[in-house]
Amino acid sequence: MKPTQPTPAGSAGILPTSTPQSAAAAAVTPAVAAAAPAVATPIATAPAVAAPTAAAAPAVAAAAAAAAAAPVVTPAAPAAPAAPLDPAASSPYAASAMRAFGIGIAGLAITATGLFVPGDAHGFALSYLTGLGFWIAISIGMLLWILIHHILDASWSVTLRRLFENWLPNFKWLALLFLPLVIVSWIKPAAIWPWMDLSTPLHDGHGTVGSDILYQKKSAFLNRAWFTAACVLFFALWIWLSSRVRKASFAQDSDGDPRWTSSNRVTAAFGIPLMALSLTFAAIYWFKSLEYHWFSTMYGVWFFADCARGALSIGALMMLWLHRHGEYKGILNKNHLHSIGQLMLAFTVFWAYIAFSQYFLIWNANVPEETFWYNLRELNADGSVNQWWWVGLLLLFGYFLAPFLLLLSYKNKIVHTRLKCISIWLLALMLTDLCYNILPALKDGHNDPRSFISTNLVWVLSTVAGVGGICVWTFLRNLPAQKLIPIRDPRITECLTHHE
Amino acid sequence: MSAQPHALIATFDKTPDLMRAAALVRDAGYKNWDCITPFPVHGLDTAMGVERSRVPRISLAGGITGFCAGMAMIWFLNGHDYKLIVGGKPFFSPLFAFPVSYELTILFTAFATIIGMFVLNKLPMHYHPVLKYDQIHRGLDDRFFIVIENRDPKFDPAATRALLATAGGAHITELEE
Repeated sequence: MKPTQPTPAGSAGILPTSTPQSAAAAAVTPAVAAAAPAVATPIATAPAVAAPTAAAAPAVAAAAAAAAAAPVVTPAAPAAPAAPLDPAASSPYAASAMRAFGIGIAGLAITATGLFVPGDAHGFALSYLTGLGFWIAISIGMLLWILIHHILDASWSVTLRRLFENWLPNFKWLALLFLPLVIVSWIKPAAIWPWMDLSTPLHDGHGTVGSDILYQKKSAFLNRAWFTAACVLFFALWIWLSSRVRKASFAQDSDGDPRWTSSNRVTAAFGIPLMALSLTFAAIYWFKSLEYHWFSTMYGVWFFADCARGALSIGALMMLWLHRHGEYKGILNKNHLHSIGQLMLAFTVFWAYIAFSQYFLIWNANVPEETFWYNLRELNADGSVNQWWWVGLLLLFGYFLAPFLLLLSYKNKIVHTRLKCISIWLLALMLTDLCYNILPALKDGHNDPRSFISTNLVWVLSTVAGVGGICVWTFLRNLPAQKLIPIRDPRITECLTHHE
Repeated sequence: MSAQPHALIATFDKTPDLMRAAALVRDAGYKNWDCITPFPVHGLDTAMGVERSRVPRISLAGGITGFCAGMAMIWFLNGHDYKLIVGGKPFFSPLFAFPVSYELTILFTAFATIIGMFVLNKLPMHYHPVLKYDQIHRGLDDRFFIVIENRDPKFDPAATRALLATAGGAHITELEE
């Protein structure tokens, strides 16, 4: 028998909140938390001790897993986690965090130079919006996954949840980085969202926004006061929900009270509908309203699909990075990667389903108020194919077909380098998808969308690097402040012994 | 009663014993053998050296067949055999054939998965020699069994019995055909 499993059986000792083992487990420092399975190993290697534990556990499956894994354990099995770290010493991630911070500042500085490039302020603003929206989407996705984890009482994702929790403090930085967009829209109304200034001339040259019946009908929703209030509400909601799930999770680390789990379930129950509404309206206000003539009820769902898959991709990269770094040795097993890979596959199909539905219904109904949105992403006014046509095909084959076929394979989901490549590819295509939805709102002199490959792409990429650096910096600063895994979560044993 | 028994069956009291024994039998190179347990034992497939199921490949073949069948059907009906203009659309476009193809993909995948599972497991199987073992009901209750069949090339009544005894198996019994 190869010791393929870490020592998960050992962690049976930290299951019941009142046992002496759990008290011992609670005492471990964040760094030693990684060694939790190893700490408890001696308890479970003796089947005689493991058996009563198993018999007492209500969950038969857990009992079976604990009993079954017991003989598998060898003292050398849990590839010993990195040497116990002194919590007082500097964080093991300090160097990486500083590098991320450096990239973040450099990226934002490059983006800032765009302010001084004359001519294309609108293109610059939308590029910034795209890059910032990319990381906001990923952060929303992580918050959603935490809430979904709690509402479904999931077990496999307990350790992943902790990584997402450490990312969430980013919302305050994202709000701060979004603030300039709101301020600019008050100083210079049409600079970003043209409908904010009623005197903006329409692209076809007939009248202004204020005289446009499609604007007038939507003006109860599309006005600057509501927009500003909504932005404040969105970020306030996301920051509040994040702090609630974080507080309960971290409190459970210290007191082991299962009521924190119940409290998070309540947060999830009301948080998920609030998230659904907020991310839908955020997508409509920020991205869709750039072409406010358009109608699509799928837009919020499209944004959700991107949020969810983006967060999963970053989650997979986080787990793989921690494994390579050493902390996740003995915690991460191939079944965790299989599970996250399966979800990536599911959301690949989901994205294709809703993106196709949106296209198909508009194509089928053939109403000008809807078809123009796709027309200008395929053809110029003179009938020639433009760059966005190729971007659309890239999304179809690169964001759906290729990852769909790749993620069907079991091996591609569990081999580290392969999953890493697929995750990075998905993130790159997610950014392309955001570009496809946002940037064609920029028009050239002939009322055709400006090309995909342009200087705007530089600002998109520099913003992605800049905001991403800040996000990763926040994550790496928060990571060592808490235990690496939620060591006293009632489902931590099931997570560490996760099986197919 | 045949000279050579159909199989040898050994009893184990606890999952750890079974896991260890399964690993021993696997390492001895046996192929035609099985474990009988009252509940799913996680990790036993690794201990037995069982490879991953091949059903997904059959599912994929079914899915591709379904997708092509849907596309071909819509093309044949509306684009070839009985051309009909609907809503000013072309006679054939993969766009409106997609919902049908997609449904058939799912349907054919489901059929292929179920049928593939039955075929690979040689189901339905109404009789199996282990059912003759008078203690077999304990395998649904509180005992674990390892059965090694005589069609295994490595099967040898004496050596296999010795292996099961070394592995800690109790009540090693010969099963008739």
